[in-house]
Amino acid sequence: MGIGATHIDHVVISSNHSAKTAELFSKTYDIEIKRTMSRPGTGAHMEFAKLDEVVLEFAGPGEPPEGEDPRARLSGFVFAVDDIDAAVKTIRDAGYEVTEPKPAVQPGAKIAAVKSGTNGVPFALIQYGAHEG
Amino acid sequence: MITRIHHVGLVVQDADEALKFWRDVIGLEVTDDRVIDDQGVRGVLLKIGNSEVELLEPTREDTGVARFLETRGEGMHHLCFESDDVAKELETAASKGIELIDQSPRPGLAGMIGFLHPKSNHGVLVEFATPIEGAH
Repeated sequence: MGIGATHIDHVVISSNHSAKTAELFSKTYDIEIKRTMSRPGTGAHMEFAKLDEVVLEFAGPGEPPEGEDPRARLSGFVFAVDDIDAAVKTIRDAGYEVTEPKPAVQPGAKIAAVKSGTNGVPFALIQYGAHEG
Repeated sequence: MITRIHHVGLVVQDADEALKFWRDVIGLEVTDDRVIDDQGVRGVLLKIGNSEVELLEPTREDTGVARFLETRGEGMHHLCFESDDVAKELETAASKGIELIDQSPRPGLAGMIGFLHPKSNHGVLVEFATPIEGAH
């Protein structure tokens, strides 16, 4: 059995000041921030580093609260799978809840969130190159 | 030098129950499963790609993992970076003003390990690990 997970695709660190947390990790651990993204309309600001095959994502509000010290926490991870539809079926057949796969932010990718069985961990699956046509 | 994410640590109430999901449904392979008496935990490592997921079940009530479980419940506990030299990473982190939990490397499930204080990492608990032969 199994869902054909190939690797941890990304680990998310949420912060009330994602830019400052990304800067701290970059300077302290010599991790290069490869990409920065602010999503217009969502108020989100994200910064991304990559360690081997895993993306470390720093996510937070677009406008950090003034006067507050940065506060961060580990807030989930995503596993890459080869066939997200088969993975979702396997999880559902085992009696756990998972959302229907939908297009992800990443071009050509689909993502589904696992809603039970995860020991309190926000957990999702992603398949790249999943879009038809 | 940090080379990759070695593992993500999860605190769980019951590792056997957690394995029913992460091993039996998700399909991750168990690479180690040990009780570490002096740390009061049972640790289970599950391989995924070049990294691992570590399940931590407290075996005593007087440990940090047990306190985490009591106050926050199950969930993500720490992030472990793999390095070729834990001692050097600890020394470098300290020189940058990071407060250390472990002043020097000690044996752990992932090899020689050292933890950094979360208050120096905006609240995130960070571990360094250098795998040793027979570890992961």
